[in-house]
Amino acid sequence: MSDGFRLGVFYTIVRPEEKWIFAAAESRGFPVVRIDDAEVTFGLDRPDVDADVVVNRSVSHTRSLYATRCYAHYGIPTVNLPDVVELAGDKVRSSLRLAERGIPTPRTVIALSPEAALKAIERIGYPAVLKPAVGSWGRLMAKVSSREEAEQILEHKTALASPVHSVFYVQEYVPKPDRDLRVFVVGSDAIAGMYRRSSDWRTNAARGATTERLPITDELRELAVRAAEAVGGGVLAVDLMESPQGLVVHEVNPTPEFKALTTVTGVDIAGSVVDYAIEVGRR
Amino acid sequence: MTQCPECDAKVERHDKVLGEVFPCPDCGTELEVFGTNPFAVQPAPKEAEDWGE
Repeated sequence: MSDGFRLGVFYTIVRPEEKWIFAAAESRGFPVVRIDDAEVTFGLDRPDVDADVVVNRSVSHTRSLYATRCYAHYGIPTVNLPDVVELAGDKVRSSLRLAERGIPTPRTVIALSPEAALKAIERIGYPAVLKPAVGSWGRLMAKVSSREEAEQILEHKTALASPVHSVFYVQEYVPKPDRDLRVFVVGSDAIAGMYRRSSDWRTNAARGATTERLPITDELRELAVRAAEAVGGGVLAVDLMESPQGLVVHEVNPTPEFKALTTVTGVDIAGSVVDYAIEVGRR
Repeated sequence: MTQCPECDAKVERHDKVLGEVFPCPDCGTELEVFGTNPFAVQPAPKEAEDWGE
């Protein structure tokens, strides 16, 4: 029963994931407060919304950062917490944290100017992967195979005025099978997993990768949960690759999509997210 | 029922909810539901640089 408990959902657009979250909350008797991230305003004194917990489903890292901070200010817990959004939403900070916690992750070098980025790429060696520090779905990622390519890509990135493009995140290209692994972690459990297979070197489901159920082994569970806890825990999708040296974690996503994962595994991920959010809201 | 703002095709509501994004059945433009009573759609917001998971 809801006991007047209200579950907020902060969103940009309503995809199947958000519809499933609305339905899961309502089927448990909890009214949903829908918060459109393009409409809401935040005062300093009191919240403009009446919710006991807010599930962040905004696709915008910037909106997620500020909104979760505002909710924390009002004493409304969020899934995920602002520190988790801040850390996991930024590849530089996530990589630092994964390394600090001894979690295997691809070799990474960070640079803060195009000149230093060229040095970083040469330090990693060819082929290298250049990624934006913020954002995903495989956008604006580049596989760099030679110095000539590196110089051209860096010239293009320099022409983009955004400060995001003045941070250069360079990672080794991991020779892997034509697939990567995604494990969905809720709290302290890995609840579902899938392979994402693609002929493109980027295996994001958003880029049309095909998916297949991934059985969660003890090794996967342990590594995924450790990676999720390293960034502060909550609802997180941990992306891994099979490198010649074993599994490496390359991303921990704080606002994960789960349409493909739900379809391929049959696991009620939205239900688990809602149950977890209610638990967080009642703490 | 409403019309796609890009190609004027007829777009049915069915069970679509406020904020839902879906492709126009005719031209494929991503549309967003911005009203349910009456049913109204607009082009979906464009992907921004910081969008992702």
